[in-house]
Amino acid sequence: MPELGRAALVATLGLVLYAVVAGGAAAWTRRRRLAASAQNALVGAFATTLVASGVLLAALVRNDFSFVYVAQNTSRELPTGYTISAFWGGQEGSLLLWLLILTGYAATAVFLNRRRARDLIVWVVPVLGAVALFFAFLVVVVATPFAVQTAPVDGAGLNPSLQNPYMLAHPPMLYLGYVGLTVPFAFAMGALLARRTDERWIVATRRWTLVAWTALGVGQLLGAHWAYEEVGWGGYYAWDPVENAALMPWLAATAFLHSVMIQEKRGMLRVWNVLLVVLAFSLSLFGTFLTRSGILSSIHSFTESSIGPWFLGFICVVVFSSLALVFARLPLLRARTRLESLVSREATFLYNNLLLIALTLTILWGVAYPILHEAVVGESRIVGAGYYNFFLRVFGLPLLLLMGIGPLVAWRRASLRSLGVTFAWPAGLALLAGAVLLALGAGSSIPGLVAYTFSAFVLGSIALEFVRGTRARRALAGGSWPGAFSALVARNRRRYGGYVVHAAIVMLAIGVAGSSAYDTVGEGKLVRGESLAVGDYRLTYRALDEREAANATELRAVLDVERGGEPLGTVAAGKNAYTAERQVSNEVGIRSDLVTGEDLFVIAEQVNPDGSVYLRVFVKPLVNVIWLAGLVFLLGALITLWPDAREQRRLAVRYGDARAPTSA
Amino acid sequence: MARKRNPARLVIALSVAAVLAVFLLYTSIAGGGTPSVAPSELSGKTGVVTLVGLVQPGYKGDPYGEGLRFQLRDRKGGSASRVTVLYTGSLSDQFRVNREVSVKGELRNGTFVAKKDSLVTKCPSKYTAKPSA
Repeated sequence: MPELGRAALVATLGLVLYAVVAGGAAAWTRRRRLAASAQNALVGAFATTLVASGVLLAALVRNDFSFVYVAQNTSRELPTGYTISAFWGGQEGSLLLWLLILTGYAATAVFLNRRRARDLIVWVVPVLGAVALFFAFLVVVVATPFAVQTAPVDGAGLNPSLQNPYMLAHPPMLYLGYVGLTVPFAFAMGALLARRTDERWIVATRRWTLVAWTALGVGQLLGAHWAYEEVGWGGYYAWDPVENAALMPWLAATAFLHSVMIQEKRGMLRVWNVLLVVLAFSLSLFGTFLTRSGILSSIHSFTESSIGPWFLGFICVVVFSSLALVFARLPLLRARTRLESLVSREATFLYNNLLLIALTLTILWGVAYPILHEAVVGESRIVGAGYYNFFLRVFGLPLLLLMGIGPLVAWRRASLRSLGVTFAWPAGLALLAGAVLLALGAGSSIPGLVAYTFSAFVLGSIALEFVRGTRARRALAGGSWPGAFSALVARNRRRYGGYVVHAAIVMLAIGVAGSSAYDTVGEGKLVRGESLAVGDYRLTYRALDEREAANATELRAVLDVERGGEPLGTVAAGKNAYTAERQVSNEVGIRSDLVTGEDLFVIAEQVNPDGSVYLRVFVKPLVNVIWLAGLVFLLGALITLWPDAREQRRLAVRYGDARAPTSA
Repeated sequence: MARKRNPARLVIALSVAAVLAVFLLYTSIAGGGTPSVAPSELSGKTGVVTLVGLVQPGYKGDPYGEGLRFQLRDRKGGSASRVTVLYTGSLSDQFRVNREVSVKGELRNGTFVAKKDSLVTKCPSKYTAKPSA
């Protein structure tokens, strides 16, 4: 079995190498049959990587501990779901998953566009092949998942903190996002190499970018929820370099998704868009480098493996070759039009882009500063959450406001008078909301109050857009209000799906502001029968329960919960002692109020031999709005992604083809 | 006739200048992060630093009461330096001998007095070093 896995990966390496060499030669010499064989090689590489992945998966499920990887990441007692998730629980497996997704994306992108964007795809193939070649080289030469040994009786097991349902989905979603950014990057480079610098590459990759961006966003929220439930410190985001590694490419991709609209509509920002794609892809590689190099101080402990320097070298090659290509093609990337006014739709998109990139780069600086400081001054430094929170407010709050302004401003030029009319209702609503919140005591956190006021403004402007659009649709086509609403969204999926995503981001801001700026915390040691009051809640320690689960001993302190004298049931918090892994993990108790969105979050910090417990209790207002925002975000992204035949026809007319390039 | 400048360039230039100004303002007020030092580098350091090292055998006390006392040594190299840390606050289940931790505080009379709840135990999550044979 391991021989089959190794052989399949060597075949993948050979096929992607062929795709690079033959694909490059075919594009250069314009030989159609050679180009087709290079495309087939890329599709074949997906098939061979699928075989290698099947071998590893089978070894995991069969507990074949003769595979070093299986022995290091699973045990006989590990439930089947987590045995499968061990595929991406270790370094070698996660790199194989990366390669599998990459070759899968590449094969799909080539298959869908091989006839419709032929002049582009001949150059895209060697670029995709080159990226796949790097990852294939890693799993064949540097970190193979098919190393073998004399099988031990049992494996080391999976880290307890990874034994959480969210870990089944969080890493694959992030990989779908990270790797997905390869496709727009390859098309951008392909367009530059082919000297086809019009909007065709953007049209061909818009949905690919959206898929990658959605997966990255959902993956981060799943990770945040995992941290909230499993890590048990009372938060969901700690500005750790590993978390930032996923946030940075998402922010860059967000900027790109907005700026491509300006290029599509006005033919502007062509250089900027190519640079954003390069930035997003490079940041996704940089994130992988961070998590595998051991170069940074993080709450995650990473091996200082030999992979780091390979990644650093590859990032340098990607950045320098991409920038050199952009520089060489600058004359072809000149904008067709100019920004006519600083008060226009395109100008607000530009401000949005600048804020997003400023936030991305300040986060990057916070991540890189300790490395640079140590290299230059010889002293290591740690950049704390205060730095990131400061810049999140400086750049994030104006971004929030722009989400409400941008969609309502006219293209090309808007007068101040028309702006006054347009924004009267949302601004009035925002001021009213701010005043009411101030009266209710929300002034204890000025950034929180500002965030809520801006959120009211954005929600008001989104609602106004839906109301105006539905009314216009009904006046035009008649019918019922729900029918007109459905038709409005169906005929403008990109626009109204985008508004739903905006609403999700506002909900995220509301949840983050509420749970971080207005939370309450209390702690204390309790013996049975004693109580602890936190906010409006009173918790009474009733019992200490112990039970044997499949792979752990579970110890739980059971607490009666009251609010304002009214009993609300119980909440249990404690520890799990994992047998095979010989580790203990905190298991928090959470009582959610689905009406107010508030959580009562209980950590049993210490369970003493005499039965007493040391508790830390948080009351987190509106924290559940964050998770609800994830669902709304997904809904908005799906609306935007849903195929639209009308749009395809419009694009076909615009680009003079029988059919436009297939987006995904 | 003078060539008309593109306002987009002006916006970008002003934005970059504004970002730099905010950045300089922040770093001049808040400084550039906390120094991170190993136990062997702590001697002579004043002010608040982040101490990073490996937990040594023999820790005692109650972090939720009078305080937990433990010793840290360097992660790398063969330095024999040990620093005693006095810590109160939340303690991760991952805290144990030979686990890498970072803790914020300052040196007072030969003991590193940690700030409450500042101890972070590195999570032995994905991609951890292979156990030695």
